[in-house]
Amino acid sequence: RYVRQLQRLQLLFSPTAADARGARQFVEEAAQDFARQHPDVVLYVSPHSGPGPAPVLRAEYLNGTVRDELIASKTSEEIVQLATKLANQSGLDIIRIRKPFHTDNPSVQGQWHPLTNKPSILTVQGPRLQPK
Amino acid sequence: PAMAARLLLRAARPLLAGAGRGTGLSTAFSTAPPPEKKRWLRAYLELQRLQAPPRRRSEKPNWDYHAEIQAFSHRVRENFDLDLLKTAFVNPCYIESEEARRRQLGLDKDAVALQLQENSGLAERGLRFARAYLEQCFEGAYPELPAKGIEALVNFLTSQELVSYVAQNLSIQDLTLCRDFPAPPDVLQRTFLAVIGALLESSGPERTGMFVRDFFIPQLIGKDLFEIWEVVNPMGLLLEELTKRNISAPEPRITRQLGVSTVLPVYFVGLYCDKKMLAEGPGETLLAAEEEAARVALRKLYGYTENRRPWDYSKPKQGLAAEKAISSN
Repeated sequence: RYVRQLQRLQLLFSPTAADARGARQFVEEAAQDFARQHPDVVLYVSPHSGPGPAPVLRAEYLNGTVRDELIASKTSEEIVQLATKLANQSGLDIIRIRKPFHTDNPSVQGQWHPLTNKPSILTVQGPRLQPK
Repeated sequence: PAMAARLLLRAARPLLAGAGRGTGLSTAFSTAPPPEKKRWLRAYLELQRLQAPPRRRSEKPNWDYHAEIQAFSHRVRENFDLDLLKTAFVNPCYIESEEARRRQLGLDKDAVALQLQENSGLAERGLRFARAYLEQCFEGAYPELPAKGIEALVNFLTSQELVSYVAQNLSIQDLTLCRDFPAPPDVLQRTFLAVIGALLESSGPERTGMFVRDFFIPQLIGKDLFEIWEVVNPMGLLLEELTKRNISAPEPRITRQLGVSTVLPVYFVGLYCDKKMLAEGPGETLLAAEEEAARVALRKLYGYTENRRPWDYSKPKQGLAAEKAISSN
């Protein structure tokens, strides 16, 4: 069954800084809806007073990856989009995919090896019998 | 320009600030002291933070146990009885360590005794149900497989490594209460089986059966039967199987061979019963090839080949199967 890989989202922002305005609007308007639509993600909202680090959205995944996304000077809708994007990701590292194709069944009738179409030693080759 | 510079500064060092102060704070960032301004001190504190020993998630900031447990039940898409689930995460080693700590702090006897129950009973019930259900699944899916093979498969699926791997990827290691960190695999196994037991008590055997099926059986994908089941003498086993079906003993013959006089020969040995081919297997020496041919024949007989039908995960209509599972408990 499908298990959402996002475990928890921590919204760290400051209640007075100017670039955290989008984060504050998100908390006021859209955070509850987001939490209701994604009941398997725990949303922590932790405002830290005073001049602190930039507002950040920290996502923790089931395989232990922690991803920080800056939300400084982003609007509330952008933060919602970002949060849904994080919620639909898995926790695998974001690296370059070497090939855009992959198959679990590389061969349907069996992979060719040098003996595939060679007849077996045991087939008797009489005057009328053809080796199969 | 001053505001712009400050904004840039803030965006430039989002992670370093307050980082070295985060040790041991169970509240949110609101009590973190302001970030250091000395560059060398910041570097030292960052080094300290990176070299600190790993801590449990429950000791780091932003942790709400009840919310996490609710999220866990939603993630797995099952309705749990939350009290049962909370008892399922409590391990006996945690209770002992907590009581010892309280006794050391000098509390009187009433306060020492914790009001928590352990998960051993739930774990046992979960294990019995999981084993019975998996045995039933395999008996239904591979009717030819003998009892020892089914036992080997079930033992593999309920083994410590597999269960603790599944538990780790479901974040059970964050929710368990146990004495050591990181939680050892047998603790994780016990906790996961206790979770299954709690689900059994809350939702009944059908839902629990679906849960066990959805999380354990995909672990068999890509695995070969004889990787899981150690068979010492496949030829002897094959002879037994053939006598059960009244087929004559197989005759091994070399079908193909390559590079006989080299360091890496390849022999294909075929097993023929009544001059019809049963199976063919490759190997480096003739003996190895014969053993491999016997294994291939056994796989064909038991229906566990690579090109068998994949497992059926559709909604079960087996009310009978679930009842059999409970009655065999």
